[in-house]
Amino acid sequence: MQIASLTFVLIVLPVLLLIYYLIPDKARQGFLVLSCFLLYSWGNPVRVLYPSAFLCYDYGTGLLLDKVRKNRIASIGIVCFSVLIQIVAMSYIRNTAQENEFFPFGIAIYTLQGLGYLIGVFRKHHAPAVNFITLALYLLFFPSLFAGGLFSYTEFSKQNKNKNLNIISLSDGLSLFIRGLAEKVVLADTFGYIFRELQQIAPENMSMLTAWLMTIIFSMYLYFELLGYSEMARGLGRCFGYELPKNFSHPFFTPSMTAFMKSYNITLVLWFETNFRRLLFRKYSDKYIYYTGFVLTWVFIGAWYGIRLKFILWGFLIGAVLLNEKLFLEKIIKKQYIAGIVYTALLSQFLWVLFFSNNLTEAAAYWKVMFGFGNSILDQTGIYFLVSYIALILSGFYIATDQFRNITERLSVSDFGQKIMNFMPLFHGILLIFCLASMLYGDQYERLWLWM
Amino acid sequence: MKKISKKNRMAYATIAIIFAVYLTVMIGTIRIFNHEESVILNSQFPENSEEYLRQNLGFHDVLFQLKSRSDLIIGEKMIQGVYITDERLIEKQFSYEESNADPVNAFYQEYVIPTYLILVPSASEIYESTLPANALNTNQAKLIKAVYADTETGIRCVDAYHILSSLKDSYIYYRTDSHWTSYGAYYVYQSAIQKMGFTPVSYQNYVISHLSTDFRGDLYQKTLYDTVRSDVLDWYTYEKGSKITDVQVIFQDGTVRRRSDIYDKSALESENMYQFYTGEPCQKMIIKTDLDNDKKLLLYKDDYADCMIPFLVQHYSEICVINLEQTGCNFQSVTDPSEYTQAMFLCSVRNWQDIFQ
Repeated sequence: MQIASLTFVLIVLPVLLLIYYLIPDKARQGFLVLSCFLLYSWGNPVRVLYPSAFLCYDYGTGLLLDKVRKNRIASIGIVCFSVLIQIVAMSYIRNTAQENEFFPFGIAIYTLQGLGYLIGVFRKHHAPAVNFITLALYLLFFPSLFAGGLFSYTEFSKQNKNKNLNIISLSDGLSLFIRGLAEKVVLADTFGYIFRELQQIAPENMSMLTAWLMTIIFSMYLYFELLGYSEMARGLGRCFGYELPKNFSHPFFTPSMTAFMKSYNITLVLWFETNFRRLLFRKYSDKYIYYTGFVLTWVFIGAWYGIRLKFILWGFLIGAVLLNEKLFLEKIIKKQYIAGIVYTALLSQFLWVLFFSNNLTEAAAYWKVMFGFGNSILDQTGIYFLVSYIALILSGFYIATDQFRNITERLSVSDFGQKIMNFMPLFHGILLIFCLASMLYGDQYERLWLWM
Repeated sequence: MKKISKKNRMAYATIAIIFAVYLTVMIGTIRIFNHEESVILNSQFPENSEEYLRQNLGFHDVLFQLKSRSDLIIGEKMIQGVYITDERLIEKQFSYEESNADPVNAFYQEYVIPTYLILVPSASEIYESTLPANALNTNQAKLIKAVYADTETGIRCVDAYHILSSLKDSYIYYRTDSHWTSYGAYYVYQSAIQKMGFTPVSYQNYVISHLSTDFRGDLYQKTLYDTVRSDVLDWYTYEKGSKITDVQVIFQDGTVRRRSDIYDKSALESENMYQFYTGEPCQKMIIKTDLDNDKKLLLYKDDYADCMIPFLVQHYSEICVINLEQTGCNFQSVTDPSEYTQAMFLCSVRNWQDIFQ
């Protein structure tokens, strides 16, 4: 079920929270697993099949890996087989998503969490789960599954033992959830809507201005969509007594691509770093093998977004750019802060084109226009969109930068700021009203990132 | 110690305010829920809950207007795909798709009965100058011209665009609805029926009664934007004219209903008053009149034609109305065209593009 929906916010969440806080602590884990299954099967019970099957597989394999840990070859074999089977199953289901009723939400995240768990057991980072319910909760934990953001099993099992449940965590959780919801339904949905409007214009008919607006609006849309979901997830996690890791930390207007990618979908990058690059390439000291591993990691991250050539190319380019920064540009960027920001902004915008184009030819057409080789530099359509949405784009930019986060921190220091902070509860109430109002508007466009 | 208690206070305040908002909205929702027959209790609850809540959420209209008005304040020029102008609401129409006359040509080649084509532009073409500057807008005049140029010789086209644009200062389009008014339809009828070999009933012969002076059409329902004045829904009656003797309505699922008149007075009580002219959308409608001639018209149409049908019935003993929106490209299979003496395609540009892409 969709988390940013009226049904979830107005009916499901209040019921879940009420029961969760009323029942004794021992029953909570089981109750959460039950509700995960309920949410998974919402409206289409067959969807439970896929995650249930792999849950059993992961549970059994985890125990098995622990048993055969002395036998190196057997454990490597088991891990490789698990990786292979899960990735093949995920790719198959994702590629047939349109006509597949088995298609579960959050399948890509689910797969990564499951594999991360198995690799963790294999590398002796943590013991395998003995309690089936605990593992079920880890793999199916709905806030992170529906909303993005990966969670390591070590961290989870630590938190699971002593949950932090009190009035402050509940209010913090709800506030964070509302902020995330606002980022999703107020900002991302509006940006998404404008993006769809612009998408109706073929690249041949676009001016340079329109093309740039389009990528900027897309980058805002994608950022707030992903950010909104992961903030909602963290908020929900807090409501239920878990502290999920932060997935974004204000990537826009950073001085290098390295800094940009470091604060964009953090947990995903971290997962590939730990479970792919460090696992396979750490033993080799040869620098060319290291470079290959580095770029390959990004190719896989690209492929995670979608098994399409354009995403793989995106990953490859990012990998190459980051490697280049690591080797050559780092020193220059340190001195030239402003130039670094401009370079990062332009380059990241160019690369987002790959995300929204249907294929490479279309991406090339957009790039051509963005470089000024289209039919015009300015046109009426571009001006119309610029005038209509400039306020929104600027406020989106502001919210996406570090400056915005600093507001609350700066405010809590001064006396006057303290007084303003007293209005935060009211602010969240108003924000909730705005979220409800925006959700009434309904789906004006398909949700592009549903599979995540 | 003091700091902790303040934190707690803030936490209680946050939860209390969120709960208050939640409770207010839910009480509003439950009030509506008791008020109306609801779908929420039937077995389809999980699938339909979202749609149900969206339509029946407490304070729906206030919340909707809060969102749409604040969008307008920050610079947005439209609500839900409808341009907001001072004078009227105008549905956005934009695509790069080209259109052609293939469906009519194919029809004409197969049945060779006199065929007439009328493509009606929408308000976004006629009132283009009032749209927000540089707004995305299809050039419908050009599109109509292209389709007309593509027709086989023998098919006769009625230039509705020029008739309507010369009347642009009159009340030819509703301010809050996506359709044209009976007044606009009358002038296009006048020109079309002459081409079809009849003398039009003159405007003076009609008695015009206002069915409603507070008609808020589909664009209003979509945007809830009440700053634009509400519309007047007119009913043109011709006392001495022919009378309708029998109306047979056939729905897509095959149900047949008989009525004594084309009008549906119950629509005036509903949200969709425009359905007054021919009732709820059906696939096929056979209208018989007391005229004693052998003229039979086959009318392929979309909902734009609804308010023109009352004018057309003055000339034919039978009109068979086929709804292109429901038949799509299969329009020929619904009836046998060779029984009819004339055929007319009457469609708005948008539907023409939507149906025959």
